[in-house]
Amino acid sequence: MNFDAIIIGGGIHGSATAYYLAKAGLKTLVLEKDYVGRHASGVNAGGVRLLGRDFAEVPLSKEAMSRWQTLDDELDGDTGFRRRSLINIAIDDADMSKIQTRINSLAGLGYNHEVQIDQQELRERLPHVAHNCVGGVVSEQDGYAIPYKATTAFRRAAERLGATFHEGETLANLRQIGDTWQVRTDKATYDAGTVINCSGAWADKTAMMMGDNTPLSHSAPMLMITARMPHFAGPVVGAISRQLSFKQFENGTVLIGGGAKGFADRDSNHTTLDYKKLALAAETTKTFFPIMKTAVINRMWAGLEAYMPDNLPVIGAGVNARNAYHAFGFSAHGFQLGPVVGDVLTQLITTGKTNFDLNPFRIDRFERKVL
Amino acid sequence: MFRSLRKPETQSVSININGQTVQVAEGSSLWAAMALHGETQTRLASVSGQQRSAYCAMGVCFECLVEINGVPNQQACMTTVEEGMHVSSQHLTEQSIAALHQKESADHE
Amino acid sequence: MSDIFDIAIIGAGPGGMSAALEAAQQGASVAVLDRKATPGGQIYRDVTQSPLLDPSVLGREYTEGAELVRAFLEADIDRHQNADVWHIGENGEVLYSQDNQTRRLVARELIISPGAMERPFPIEGWHLPGVMTAGSAQVMLKSDGMVKDGAIFAGTGPLLYLIVAQYLRLGVTVNAVVDTTPAGGVGRAMQHLGGALRKPAYLIKGLKLLNEIRRAGVPVFRHASNLSILGESKAVGLQFQQDGRTHSINAGHIFLHQGVIPNLNMTRALGMEHHWAEQQLCWTPVLDDWGQSSIPHIAVVGDAAGIQGAEAARHAGRLAALKAMNKLGKLNDADLQQESSANLKAIKSFKAFRSFLDAYYPPTPEHRIPVATNTLVCRCEEQTMGQLRAGFEQGAKDPNALKALTRCGMGPCQGRQCGHTVSELLADWQNKPVSDIGYYRLRSPQRLLSVEELSQFQNIKPVQKPAEVSA
Repeated sequence: MNFDAIIIGGGIHGSATAYYLAKAGLKTLVLEKDYVGRHASGVNAGGVRLLGRDFAEVPLSKEAMSRWQTLDDELDGDTGFRRRSLINIAIDDADMSKIQTRINSLAGLGYNHEVQIDQQELRERLPHVAHNCVGGVVSEQDGYAIPYKATTAFRRAAERLGATFHEGETLANLRQIGDTWQVRTDKATYDAGTVINCSGAWADKTAMMMGDNTPLSHSAPMLMITARMPHFAGPVVGAISRQLSFKQFENGTVLIGGGAKGFADRDSNHTTLDYKKLALAAETTKTFFPIMKTAVINRMWAGLEAYMPDNLPVIGAGVNARNAYHAFGFSAHGFQLGPVVGDVLTQLITTGKTNFDLNPFRIDRFERKVL
Repeated sequence: MFRSLRKPETQSVSININGQTVQVAEGSSLWAAMALHGETQTRLASVSGQQRSAYCAMGVCFECLVEINGVPNQQACMTTVEEGMHVSSQHLTEQSIAALHQKESADHE
Repeated sequence: MSDIFDIAIIGAGPGGMSAALEAAQQGASVAVLDRKATPGGQIYRDVTQSPLLDPSVLGREYTEGAELVRAFLEADIDRHQNADVWHIGENGEVLYSQDNQTRRLVARELIISPGAMERPFPIEGWHLPGVMTAGSAQVMLKSDGMVKDGAIFAGTGPLLYLIVAQYLRLGVTVNAVVDTTPAGGVGRAMQHLGGALRKPAYLIKGLKLLNEIRRAGVPVFRHASNLSILGESKAVGLQFQQDGRTHSINAGHIFLHQGVIPNLNMTRALGMEHHWAEQQLCWTPVLDDWGQSSIPHIAVVGDAAGIQGAEAARHAGRLAALKAMNKLGKLNDADLQQESSANLKAIKSFKAFRSFLDAYYPPTPEHRIPVATNTLVCRCEEQTMGQLRAGFEQGAKDPNALKALTRCGMGPCQGRQCGHTVSELLADWQNKPVSDIGYYRLRSPQRLLSVEELSQFQNIKPVQKPAEVSA
């Protein structure tokens, strides 16, 4: 079978890329070794966050954020997106001056989406916050979506435009013969003009088949969720200098993250939790929000996620083969970029250029660096 | 109404169920103590808000979640009554709004 | 005292207690963690301290359990009651809640015996107040001497008749028995008749119970089908079909039962290999004859290993203990074989008998795989069959994908009440064997764990010293 483009990996970026490619008229196949949204894209914390982004990511993230606001209409689906704002809480003057410094730097680059708030405004926005919190920084457009739903919405929209998804099919080998990529899986062999690596925690293996080395590591960011609580926090909540991260969903459950990592074995899709770190996250949440003392944890889990040494993703063309593209290594903050990365790749594939500066995301950036 | 065939010589403890102080047999499960006093509503279904009651009585259905001494989501069937226990049916649904304690709102001023 | 044991046993039912007794007798250091206040499991619940004046009405199979419980209480075993295990690590670490704090122990070998639960009965209205399981009637009777007059008992399986007979002996009124056992039971079970004949006493007992119920004048509706609960906000009656006619009986309380299945949240959370047991229509851990699971140092005994009943569980408990001693290097291979042979043989005969029961009392498809779109499958998150079907049509073909899309199985019961239904529904919709569908990926904690308790994890306490354990 022949395709214009074959995407390796059915996470949010694979599914979104399929959507934009199909929209551009390319005959597209997504190969997913498990099922669509099985790993990080389906089980992450669902944060849709512009606040606190690395400056290199801000242009992409801003574009993605404006798309999230109307994404359900665009996809004719339900991503579960809710605009709730995100507040990072300051506990002392040092935190407040960190916020000020960052806002100044952003202003220098022409951005004004992060806004400092004082103690009174913090308490108006988060009435249940502990009394020693002195203020914070807010990004109004931020919020959350439901990861598996969002990934499914992209997938369904892509399918409606003619994209094909094969679940339970594992990539075995890639070979470029002339202008054709021969894509061999455990079930079949396909020909494609272009291949796109959206393989998440397995992306270094796919990259290698495309001729590119990449220093990707993988880990298992841990999450836990409570049984329903009475509504006490509208905004998504983080902190400037503590590992605090939670959101209360519309249904009342409270998802607690914070970046603590468990243990991952990607060969067996298996992750193991580190309760000591989860306990610390519970303690932190309770300290910032005393109402959480009455919460009960219902579930704990971890997903398999890809990390890069500089915590920035790889986005763009491969360097050692033609018609090869990458989008991976999002280092636990790629979900929000879902609605933009696939479109940028599609622009690259169909026109050879994009308006975004992808230099910080080049796959060979580590090789070029002299340490 | 549920009724008890418990042998008469049993000791009792005093607990409060939904605002009423009642005497219940020492060693009773909290679910039995509630049911014997006609308080069979344990929780409200979290989405629809419909009334629910215990289903399995052995800890695997989580229908008998109640609030014990101010802490919600406790399984009544897996809890043994204790003197002075305060119990109420759980009214927590996905529409519930958290009340601000007097002290906290006072501190806001 | 150390918090390291040769063998830790989770669950003090007949399987767990027998394993503990054997291991202690063989000289192992043994800890038993049990989530209830007293040992006995569901079957021997409160047998040594019955609230009833005359516990003998519950039958000899129950009262005979007292002997095992007493032996267990007298043996040199670290017994921990009200110890609710919320995590078992593959490394042998066990975390459990006791008095609202987490404690920890480590064991070289683990024998887990989390028991059985009643098969979910997903019919219209099964979530309404007033609908409970027949097993709950037994639990309430054994532990609290609490009964309900005028209830309907509906479904199939030996337990249903047993609890009705117990109620009648105690003078509790029963409205009706609505029996869903399909006609032609003997024919269906004929190929397993040999198994039944090896346990004639049990076979006769079943018939006796049914006679006892009939003699008491309780209406018995046989071969009933298509059950549904009547009522809007609470149960007011039961509707069903019999011989092509629709019947309705008014009653404010209905006890449902269609057999029991392994309580598998612990074995699933451990990542143990499971298979779909076609005969028992349930997921079961993959085990060898000694209960050894796919995880090297963990064995599973009792009904969690596949439904075999209390007596078989005693044999299985002893076998797992012997094997654990063998693995600990305290019993050589030849002695293991010799010591095991009688128990292995006994278990075989129980299995043959169980095959007969499974064939005679099948849970019928319309009561396992909901037919009405408004039937709740997930009670916690209130997901109906129709909503799940819509999720399936959006591409969620795996139980975990369906869970992520619909929240089915995400509530406090962690899929205990919907997991089997979802596996069977997805198999039915894709016309695939259930074994290809799989089950939810489960994780610790196996109980709701308070943030307050979890946040104290840094100062986790070791297992309590026996002197501190309240009687």
